[in-house]
Amino acid sequence: MLFLISRRVLVAFATVIVVIILSGLLIHVVPGDPVTAMMAQSVSATPEAMAEMRTRLGLDLPVWQQVLLYLSRVLHGDLGTTIRGNESVLRLLMQRVPNTFALAVSGLGLALAIGIPLGFLAAVNRGRLADTAVMFIAVLGVSIPAFWLGLIMIQVFALKLDWLPVAGSSWRNIILPALTLGLTYCALVARMTRSALVDVLEEDYIRTARAKGLRGHEVLLVHALRPALISIVTVVGLVFAYLLGGQVIIENVFSWNGIGRLAVQAMLERDYPMIQGFIVVFAVSVVIVSMLIDILYNFLDPRMRQK
Amino acid sequence: MSITTEISIWRRRPPFSVVLGLGLASVIVAASLLSYYLAPFDPTRMAAGPRLAPPSGAHLFGTDEFGRDLFSRVLVGGRLSLGIGISAVVSGLVIGGLIGLLAAFSARIVQVTLLRLIDVLYSFPDTLIALALVAFLGPGIENATLAIAISLVPFYARVTYGLAAAERAKPYIEAARLAGIGNGRLVRVHVMPNIGQSLIVMGTLGFSSAILSAAGLSFLGLGVQPPSPEWGAILASGRNYINKAPWILIFPGVAICLTVLSFNLIGDSLRDLVDPRRKGRS
Repeated sequence: MLFLISRRVLVAFATVIVVIILSGLLIHVVPGDPVTAMMAQSVSATPEAMAEMRTRLGLDLPVWQQVLLYLSRVLHGDLGTTIRGNESVLRLLMQRVPNTFALAVSGLGLALAIGIPLGFLAAVNRGRLADTAVMFIAVLGVSIPAFWLGLIMIQVFALKLDWLPVAGSSWRNIILPALTLGLTYCALVARMTRSALVDVLEEDYIRTARAKGLRGHEVLLVHALRPALISIVTVVGLVFAYLLGGQVIIENVFSWNGIGRLAVQAMLERDYPMIQGFIVVFAVSVVIVSMLIDILYNFLDPRMRQK
Repeated sequence: MSITTEISIWRRRPPFSVVLGLGLASVIVAASLLSYYLAPFDPTRMAAGPRLAPPSGAHLFGTDEFGRDLFSRVLVGGRLSLGIGISAVVSGLVIGGLIGLLAAFSARIVQVTLLRLIDVLYSFPDTLIALALVAFLGPGIENATLAIAISLVPFYARVTYGLAAAERAKPYIEAARLAGIGNGRLVRVHVMPNIGQSLIVMGTLGFSSAILSAAGLSFLGLGVQPPSPEWGAILASGRNYINKAPWILIFPGVAICLTVLSFNLIGDSLRDLVDPRRKGRS
């Protein structure tokens, strides 16, 4: 068990290192000279200022040195400073993390609360009308762009019906974006729940439980649901990563002050250190969540617990 | 497993979802190909009608803030979206396919390195990879297409590796190797013909995600730039008239949904045929 956990932590650490290296290399994807591209919108683009920027970003060093320098800086908690305003990237991002986290958790909660019962319903009625209907809703769900659903929600619930605010800072503002994320990603959850439960229902012990005379709902709730839920836990990390990715656009639709809104602003302004910082913070969150979920799975699954 | 024998089962009774998906997709593809003939107005012509006019006989989908005909814009936008989708999928499939084949037919150390790297990238949502790349490449239709193509590479590389590795384990490959056939010829003559069809099917799966990414990038102002009538770009400008002219939001959004839905319906059913893990589990 301890071996499994330490191995998982090592894998997570290696993943973060790879992402930091890739994000450091991204500046070389910029066509032409990154400093020129960055300062194109700035009035103070004197040759001196550009040379200073080049030194600040370490662009005058050989590529391998740049990457190592960036890696060691990031591992020491230094994500650099923004091009405009010269503020600490890490501090700016960390200010927004609580907002992003609150929205992600409420969105994920809604997605699970809607998706798991739907997937359950489909698996139990496999091949029948309810299954077809749920699966059709699920395909529809993955086909609707989240940002468009968000715009429709604003139009209907905020402007037409005037139930909820479009923007502002009360707790009511989280409802619409969280609902948008929940409705978008519940389709993914429903599919995964269905296929997990369908797998479990084909197991021998389910047949045994039926054969010894247990009633249908007893078999489902006592024998099938628990193992199915355990395998659903393993995909929550994946759903979380996709939800967090979709949230980058959703935060912009609802003017939600999270890291996604900050990142898109930086992308439009070509503030490269800020974008790189966002990628690192995003990657670290996804890696930590999926690591915690994998470890949790080891505790939940009795077969794994014995190892 | 041959896909043709599987499809012959369909000849008796094709699933409704496939019929619906194929029908929708053919209408959308035809309308996009013929968009310049079908569009009643030049999609970028300003003042083709009154500004922000609701849908009417003259302007089926209404007009936007510059008096441009929305119906023409959505039609021509389909051409852009499908064009980006196809180019991104083809380039992503070629690059990803080559990486996957390389991983399947190279020394253990290369194989493990490539697979680990692919797995790291695969754990991030493809839209986000495209977003990060476009932030550095700069906005525009070519850069957006390139970024989306690269964002699909991890998926295609993984799929190709899976198919090629399964093929590699078969006895006829062993026989070919014993006959002294090298890796290059082995892949070209024996492996590719056997996994080609499955790869093309997986290609359709990336298509809908490419269309969604393109719309998202353009909506944020990082993809196709105005006045080009890309669906996401139309939604971005329509956002400012959300109350006065909701039709600018509705029609391009419905167009995205129907396009993505049709390819998802086709892709899902086809995947059940080629993906051995999902067989018999539709």
